[in-house]
Amino acid sequence: MIDQGTGLAGMVDTLFMTPAFLWFLAVLPVILILYLLKLRRTEVVISSTLLWLKSLQDLTANAPFQRLRKNLLLLLQLLIALALALALARPYLRAEMLPGQYICLLIDRSASMQTQEKAGTRLDLARESALRLVNEMRWGDRMMVVTFGETADVLVELTEDRVRLREVLGAIQATDESTRMRDAFFVAQSLHQTNPDLSVIVLTDGNVSDLAQILPRSEAGAPSATEEELVLESQMPELVFFQVGETRDNAGIVQLSMRKPSDEAGEQQTFALVHNESANPLQTTLTLYFNDVMIGVSELDVPPGADQEVLFGHGDLGEGLLRAELDTHDALAVDNQAWLAIRPAAKLQVLLVSEPKATSTFYLQRVFALDPRAELETVAPSNYFDTQEYDLVVFNGFAPPSLPAGSLLFFNAVPPVEDLDVLGELENPPVIASEGEHPVMRYLNPANVGIAKAIRLGLPSGARALASTNGGPLIADVSRGGQQILVVAFNLEDSDWPLNLSFPLFVQNVLSWTPRAALSETRTTRAGRPLALPPDPLAESATVAAPDGQSYDVRLDPMRPSYFAATHQVGPYRVALGGRDMTYAINLLDPVETAVAPAEALEIGRGRVEAQKEKVTVNREFWRWLVAAGIAILALEWWVYSRRAWV
Amino acid sequence: MPNGTKTESKALLDADFVRRLERLAIAAKRVQLGRAKGERKSKRKGSSVEFADYRDYVQGDDLRHIDWNIYGRLDALYLKLFQEQEDLTVHLLVDASQSMAYGEPAKIEFAAKLAAAIGYIALIGYDRVSVEAFAGARRQVMRPVRGKGNANRLFSFLSGLSAGGQTELEDSCKSYVLRNRSKGIAVIFSDFLDPEGFEGGLRRLLQSGCDVYAVHILARQEIDPEVTGDLKLLDSETSACTEISVSPALLKRYRQNVDGFCDALRRHCLARDIGYMFAPSDTPLDRLLLEVFRRGGMLQ
Repeated sequence: MIDQGTGLAGMVDTLFMTPAFLWFLAVLPVILILYLLKLRRTEVVISSTLLWLKSLQDLTANAPFQRLRKNLLLLLQLLIALALALALARPYLRAEMLPGQYICLLIDRSASMQTQEKAGTRLDLARESALRLVNEMRWGDRMMVVTFGETADVLVELTEDRVRLREVLGAIQATDESTRMRDAFFVAQSLHQTNPDLSVIVLTDGNVSDLAQILPRSEAGAPSATEEELVLESQMPELVFFQVGETRDNAGIVQLSMRKPSDEAGEQQTFALVHNESANPLQTTLTLYFNDVMIGVSELDVPPGADQEVLFGHGDLGEGLLRAELDTHDALAVDNQAWLAIRPAAKLQVLLVSEPKATSTFYLQRVFALDPRAELETVAPSNYFDTQEYDLVVFNGFAPPSLPAGSLLFFNAVPPVEDLDVLGELENPPVIASEGEHPVMRYLNPANVGIAKAIRLGLPSGARALASTNGGPLIADVSRGGQQILVVAFNLEDSDWPLNLSFPLFVQNVLSWTPRAALSETRTTRAGRPLALPPDPLAESATVAAPDGQSYDVRLDPMRPSYFAATHQVGPYRVALGGRDMTYAINLLDPVETAVAPAEALEIGRGRVEAQKEKVTVNREFWRWLVAAGIAILALEWWVYSRRAWV
Repeated sequence: MPNGTKTESKALLDADFVRRLERLAIAAKRVQLGRAKGERKSKRKGSSVEFADYRDYVQGDDLRHIDWNIYGRLDALYLKLFQEQEDLTVHLLVDASQSMAYGEPAKIEFAAKLAAAIGYIALIGYDRVSVEAFAGARRQVMRPVRGKGNANRLFSFLSGLSAGGQTELEDSCKSYVLRNRSKGIAVIFSDFLDPEGFEGGLRRLLQSGCDVYAVHILARQEIDPEVTGDLKLLDSETSACTEISVSPALLKRYRQNVDGFCDALRRHCLARDIGYMFAPSDTPLDRLLLEVFRRGGMLQ
């Protein structure tokens, strides 16, 4: 903790944390008035007060309660002193609690924060701690609140408004998302640039999946940090990591996928991976449902801290919703179920525009025939008219004057794309580099492909070279305006690529890359990531029904996919789109979230922020009550004192 | 208070009451030495008609006192001694402290009347009367007088008394006794409300060898106060204040304390052969003098 305001100055500083406290000063004139009222007794001059004094003393000595009453005054005065002393001592402790004047509160709202602890969910605990921090705010303190899950949201900018802060904190909802702190951290860091004394308090269980991406970490054994790292570290704000949660009692499904064999006869398989985080072995069952009908049960015996793979074999299920359910009651319920939405593979309409007699046409027809998704039509360039819409149009050695709709693949032809120029010809170009990150180049290595000659292309800005040689690109992605356009700058007949394994893979990738193919797979989306809804020229909007029953309207773009972002919950999302009903599965499936055991430290860059195991504030603000009690006792004391002569 | 309360001179004693006083006389318990010829038995042998003793003639004795009948019978010279009759000094000490101004009638006024009455009785009995009003260092002194002719002087002095200052009985009595050594009767008129106690003053008077009488004057308001409510009581002498909230219990306790105080003073006096007379300031003078003082043995 930052040691701010030690010594007397610090104590005095914390004395007036709330100016409302000063209203108690109003009691002073009240006591004064009481005193004055007492002074205004009728004055009577008598010969001597000797006998009266004696009488008073006799009475006070004789009355049985007088002794007690005298002690009572003493007792009350002691109580006042005690209450005030405690009230004064209390603020000093608190001075250590809040680290600075400007506080950025980063609150984890990921799935693991739903973990049930003894006193509520982890998010409840974090909220409580945050509210306590708000209560500790002194005059002039400012706080901002950022929550983070899959994404980060700034709930409130730096403000002194404690009512607003409480309101915002009270409204934080847990999501079923993974934990990604990077965005939230950068928000805090950018704020730190302008407010150097900003302190960042992270309220999390420490299960963050992207810590390594916040700052680049040095290689192990590196003698010293690079200059860049030092600069980044110098910009790091002060971090306080308040660890929330203690339990590790959880097991969950961390992977769920379906494998379809390529041949029609093969049995389909569903693969699940179950992780047991708790300290006890997990003995339970994993049940698989298809459209809420049980289709498989598997007994599980997962040792503590280990994973178990489960494989279900079943026939072709067709369209529907697959659900895996782990029969366990643990601290975190979100990861006990997972869903898969299965849709039958869509048939992709592919048009091949090529000379029918050419060898390359034969290669292409054969390679598209390998993929069951493709329905290929072949047309000679002379017979080609842009009449019907295809998912993919392959032009072999021919470029139409205007581009048709759909995804386009050009072999040995240059499409009429702006700034895409023919610069010349390349002789025996070796494949030097390939872009493995691009979807169409995935899993393939064209390095050993031999090419006799190729067109030398000048790419427009924004285009990507997928495979390159010295003189320029050999395969390029010149997509524009949402339309996917690929150019292969050589004739298949001038190369041995059709004989290479990478060629059918490339064609398969291209098919998968087309928007419709991308939508037709059984796949799952992580909670918090947007759903891509396919473009539909007939529908203007789609209705998305979330698992909790809430429904959303999403405007559709006729040309490109639209995105639905409110996927904070896991479960099946039903989408009604142009008369079609589609189901999307949103899952957690995150081993980091399933491993609920709280982290001991956050390792960011080369730094390590140890967890503050203590509660954010151990002390309630009862010093105000002490002061109030002290003043009340004082009033009582005065009352008792003034009643002393009254018997 | 510097400006004390003056007692009224005219109404000090009315003429009828003065006439009734002439029937009274001061009773001396003991035979004392006087200053001048008077009507009191003296310890001295002298020239009265009352035979006292015989003694041998020594040279220089007055031949007129030789008992010639004895000489004729026994042929020896004897002197015939007669009881000397001398006057008695009556010391009247009036407490003139501020507390004496309290009461209805004021205690000092009452004390002045009493002193006037007793002084007058003494004057008509050919006794010397010495009056002093005291309050701490403040003193009002009347030179000792004798004879009925000085009665007016006595009255005018007493009616001119004023109250003020603090009660310091012991110091005042000590000072008086040192200045007035003639023995006789000392009558002290006081409320005896001295923070230091009344014992010291009375002891000083006793040490002077006088017969001492204590006249305890209290106002009716002191004996039976009629106060109610929350009060701040101011001591007239010390200005000390005491805050009280009057309750029946407090009043009862106060009355008990007044009784206890008077009783303590009475017992103190009784034990030291001091005549104690309790005189509430609203008591009629004649009743007090004719009954209480006679019963107390001071008057006859």
